[in-house]
Amino acid sequence: MKTANLYHDSAIKHVSGQSVYVNDIVASPYQLFGKVVYSPFAHARILSIDIEAAKQLKGVKAILTYQDIPGENQMGPVVHDEPCLAVDEVTFIGQAVCLIAAENEEAAYEAEKLIRIEYEELEAITSLQEAIEKNNLLCPPRKIACGDVDEAFKTSPHIIQDVLMTGAQEHWYLETQSALAVPGEENEMTIYASSQNPAETQAIVAEVLGINKNEVEVEVRRMGGGFGGKETQGNHVAAWAALLANATKFPVCIHLFRDDDQKITGKRHRFLSKYCVGFNDDGKITAYSVELNSDAGSSTDLSRAILERAMLHAENAYYLPNACIIGKAYKTNLPSNTAFRGFGGPQGIAVIENAIDRIARFLKKDPIEIRKINFYGIDKDNITPYGEIIKNNHLHVILEQLMASSLYTERRIAIDKFNDDNEFYKKGIAMTPVKFGISFTTAFLNQAGALVHIYNDGTVAVNHGGTEMGQGLHTKILGIASDALGISPEYIKISNTNTSKVPNSSATAASSGSDLNGMAVQNAIDQLISRLTEVAFDELSLLFPSSSIKKENICFANDKVYDNTNTNVGISFKDLIKKAYLKQVSLSATGFYKTPGIYFDRETGKGNPFYYYSYGMAVSEVKVDVLTGEVKLLQTDILHDVGDSLNPNIDIGQIEGGFIQGLGWVTTEEIKWDGKGRLLTYSPDTYKIPTVNDIPDVFKVNLLSGYPNEGTIRKSKAVGEPPLMLAFSVWLAIKDAISAVGNHQFEPSFSLPATAEVVLNSIEEIKHKIK
Amino acid sequence: MNEPGYHIQFVFNDKVVSLSFDGSTELKPTTTVLNYLRSFPFHKGVKEGCAEGDCGACTVVLAEIKNDKLHYTTIDSCLVFLPMLHGKQLITVENLANGKELHPVQQQMVEQSGSQCGYCTPGIVMSLFGLYKNHHKPNRVVIEDALTGNLCRCTGYQPIIKAAEIACSIEDNDKFTLNSVKTKALLNEINTHSPIVIETAKQKYYKPFTLLDALRLRSQYPNAIIVNGATDIALRQTKKRELLDEIIDISDVKELKYFVEKQDYYSIGAGLQMEQLKLYAEKTLPALYQMLQIFGSLQIRNVATIGGNIGSASPIGDTLPLLFAYKAKVKLQSSITERICNIEDFIKGYRFTDLQKDELITEVMIPKPPVGTFIKSYKVSRRKDLDISTVSAGFSLLLENNKVKEIILSYGGMAAQTIRAGKTEQFLLRKEWSRTFIEDAMEILQEEFTPLSDARAEANYRSTVARNLLLKFFAETSL
Repeated sequence: MKTANLYHDSAIKHVSGQSVYVNDIVASPYQLFGKVVYSPFAHARILSIDIEAAKQLKGVKAILTYQDIPGENQMGPVVHDEPCLAVDEVTFIGQAVCLIAAENEEAAYEAEKLIRIEYEELEAITSLQEAIEKNNLLCPPRKIACGDVDEAFKTSPHIIQDVLMTGAQEHWYLETQSALAVPGEENEMTIYASSQNPAETQAIVAEVLGINKNEVEVEVRRMGGGFGGKETQGNHVAAWAALLANATKFPVCIHLFRDDDQKITGKRHRFLSKYCVGFNDDGKITAYSVELNSDAGSSTDLSRAILERAMLHAENAYYLPNACIIGKAYKTNLPSNTAFRGFGGPQGIAVIENAIDRIARFLKKDPIEIRKINFYGIDKDNITPYGEIIKNNHLHVILEQLMASSLYTERRIAIDKFNDDNEFYKKGIAMTPVKFGISFTTAFLNQAGALVHIYNDGTVAVNHGGTEMGQGLHTKILGIASDALGISPEYIKISNTNTSKVPNSSATAASSGSDLNGMAVQNAIDQLISRLTEVAFDELSLLFPSSSIKKENICFANDKVYDNTNTNVGISFKDLIKKAYLKQVSLSATGFYKTPGIYFDRETGKGNPFYYYSYGMAVSEVKVDVLTGEVKLLQTDILHDVGDSLNPNIDIGQIEGGFIQGLGWVTTEEIKWDGKGRLLTYSPDTYKIPTVNDIPDVFKVNLLSGYPNEGTIRKSKAVGEPPLMLAFSVWLAIKDAISAVGNHQFEPSFSLPATAEVVLNSIEEIKHKIK
Repeated sequence: MNEPGYHIQFVFNDKVVSLSFDGSTELKPTTTVLNYLRSFPFHKGVKEGCAEGDCGACTVVLAEIKNDKLHYTTIDSCLVFLPMLHGKQLITVENLANGKELHPVQQQMVEQSGSQCGYCTPGIVMSLFGLYKNHHKPNRVVIEDALTGNLCRCTGYQPIIKAAEIACSIEDNDKFTLNSVKTKALLNEINTHSPIVIETAKQKYYKPFTLLDALRLRSQYPNAIIVNGATDIALRQTKKRELLDEIIDISDVKELKYFVEKQDYYSIGAGLQMEQLKLYAEKTLPALYQMLQIFGSLQIRNVATIGGNIGSASPIGDTLPLLFAYKAKVKLQSSITERICNIEDFIKGYRFTDLQKDELITEVMIPKPPVGTFIKSYKVSRRKDLDISTVSAGFSLLLENNKVKEIILSYGGMAAQTIRAGKTEQFLLRKEWSRTFIEDAMEILQEEFTPLSDARAEANYRSTVARNLLLKFFAETSL
């Protein structure tokens, strides 16, 4: 089998129930059940904590408060503004106050009932609007600008100005946050984590325990889904479990109950965005200004970087000669919002996509026409507002191919006819593009390490700093290693991610997993191949004295090492390794990679933050029930650019899955809090992610072919995040259908998610206007 | 034959397993099948994703003998108490492969890239296994129905549908078919006649197999909670962590599982599972069939019963508005009495019915509507499938010379209980069935209810939907 067609390296274990997740591990018969006791108030002063009665309960091994933290009471990943356990104040519902370790679940729940915490409720900010009104900023506002936006607005023939709300989103990874902490000798602590960032989990555990990083080992086998939700917030359960394990000297596992996970962990940031767009009669944008206001929640977490990415994607695929992009993050008394696939990008892109849609309706043109004339040019109009030049722009070729393959024009005509003929159902169609910048915008994070061992039986263990959360990273790495070493995947094992093998790794995030780690693994293997080539040269010269072998002709393939000018001159890989071992050649190498040429100046808002861009487009068609607001997604056609795919099955899986996750965000996944900051949609009973019936009846996904990406691992491109934003095609198709109710004469009220409720309200408003 | 008493028996890993609740283990009679399985180191494949039957990560399959054949059903093991396994075969994801050889549904999940993170996969595989055992070459609708109860956050489902199509086109000669004689023999060893009585220090759990025993236990323990599928009651334990101290489990009273066509009505055993009812309704009660297609998930419908849905008297119970429209009746029996009650009189308030302390709902009677009657059901929810309705409705209409002779407009989600739009009905009576009158009626309807705002929707949306559904009904009946 070609390595590009490898099945997921855990697939057989997945389907037979053999794949192990944190909560499946039993480290010891004495393993304890860990539980977190959290604040029921969005903002309150803690007057007293009484744990005495709970401590006496049979089966209870430890109850901890902030006073029991041996190290620093902090788990903020970037800014130290997040106490591990509350001291005298709680700032959101779900903030940890006490920790319980008990012999079993029942005892832990009983103990919780006996803990008495007295609170004095304080005034809380639980809505973004209120935070904006009170100017409750998390950090100083940021700005990216180009051209002269004020002057451009003065001369713009048309201006549209409005506000767009985009909602929060719950990750809903199937495996809730979990960690198992196993105490070792002296200070040692081993954490089996469900974390996208084991190195940071290690750092935070070391900090709260007051020990060194070299005393903490963090291992991640796999996660049951991450999507950004375990980039920083997997650290919390790890820190809590470590504190309990350290206090009791028993292994402690914390696996959050679903409702608790939904209540206490952060979500995708909701945004309230104020925008103003100026344009000419053709629909060409002359000026764009946007103020992106995000709800950071109670602490910093990754909110600054997320806001930054939203700003860096405010223009999406469109050239803006004059733009002013302001970013503001606000503090509220809600769980700290965090990374989620797209990392702010979707929130920035939603605004301009909606603005373009409005321009088209205003000018009575097809939105595709407006998109096309505003796309970044190939040789001109190709500078982003932050100064990066767009190279290898595939927007135009994707549009051309997708318009043809999706029969957009024909379907648009058929839809107009359907809408003329039907009062109670309306159809809508939309095409939206995504251009997504690939790299961590915090430049130094763009580094990765690997450690490759060849054992003297010829088998290989590959370690790298990336984590597997289902995205198929290990499978791609397996393919890379297999091709680079010229041996079958069955001889290679991708090891669990472990901080003792590869130190100081960055989070598996920003879609960068295979770009960074793939290169690091390649680098390690290149070193090994170079050493082995020497050995092979000597051995082959010895075995085949009559052949004149050249080092540059030695080739590693098909489990053999041979002269590629004479394939009979060869030796099996396994035999070569034996020889190398006997010749005292090192069979282990570390690899390293850093992305070249990336920088960004946050003060000036200028730089080259991205190594390259990924492109994709989708056409979606929907049918809306005019009487209930319910939506049926009829068809989606996607064409997406992943360079030369490392593994088409996995890449298509990422595109389909990302798109459907985006579909949920733009349609049914509505998060509601009440005025007290209580999450109302805290279980799958009320929080609705897509089911099998919500996917399009016709769902065609294709990879752009013939456009290799120079300078990356095997000319591939990242894939994890960008496809999520293709779901805007559904969002705007819904708006198109609503608009048809008023024969496209009125701009529909719209927000995100477009729930049946939002849709029906918008339809009723248009009906009212018609009357 | 084993004597009844403190233990239950089921077939698991090719053996009859006996469990007792005498305190020698940590097992409670209300321990869920999920928690039981996960207590073994070698059955960690089954996963808890939500503990409320909304995600399907815990899906397992039960096999039982029906008409001498093994009948396979998927269930959410997080909602099923151990005694419900009695007399059945429990099959988990670890049981499917034949040695190293994967089951066809597993093999196709691998080949189609049907798993990514793998956490939902064991549940998906079990749903596919259930599909494989029940349908050869299923169409897309059947496949989607089998998978509705399984949430996957990674794949977007498309490869899973593909895996189902291919796996289920293969002739079924899997090891379960090959072993069926042996399995049936094992199942036949288990006594399913005498009631199971489990009394521990904290809990009492009674499981009768005959109606007579069920009614006797009911009068003996009038405060016991009656469970059938337990899809509602189990949440009190899994989510609210209540101790359910006294339970009568009537899920295996076979006498309550029937659907019979009578002269002028359909007679439905209260213990008939929703999925079975759906199959019967397809040809007889189309509006009911339509509603059951979007009722919960297959795993839920495989255990939830019509009697249970009525008995819970939820304001958003999916069947109630429609049963109002059908003018259904319920039969209520005790050891010594039997009475028949109109469904509307039976539902007395928020989760409150006219059921007496010694009675069980034993039958639901749905009159055959007069020829020409339109009956429709509507369910509007945030998500089409596996969701609780925001607004539901059951309408019935009989016209005479295009004038309204009889009309019932019944709604769920608009008040503390299922409620009829009486004023609107009165307004429409004897009027022409026309758009003009409907639009007038919509205004009246809007005034008739004062719904609540909650996590699902705002009151205003509910009111608008309620009135619009009337227009939808008109549009669908005036063609």
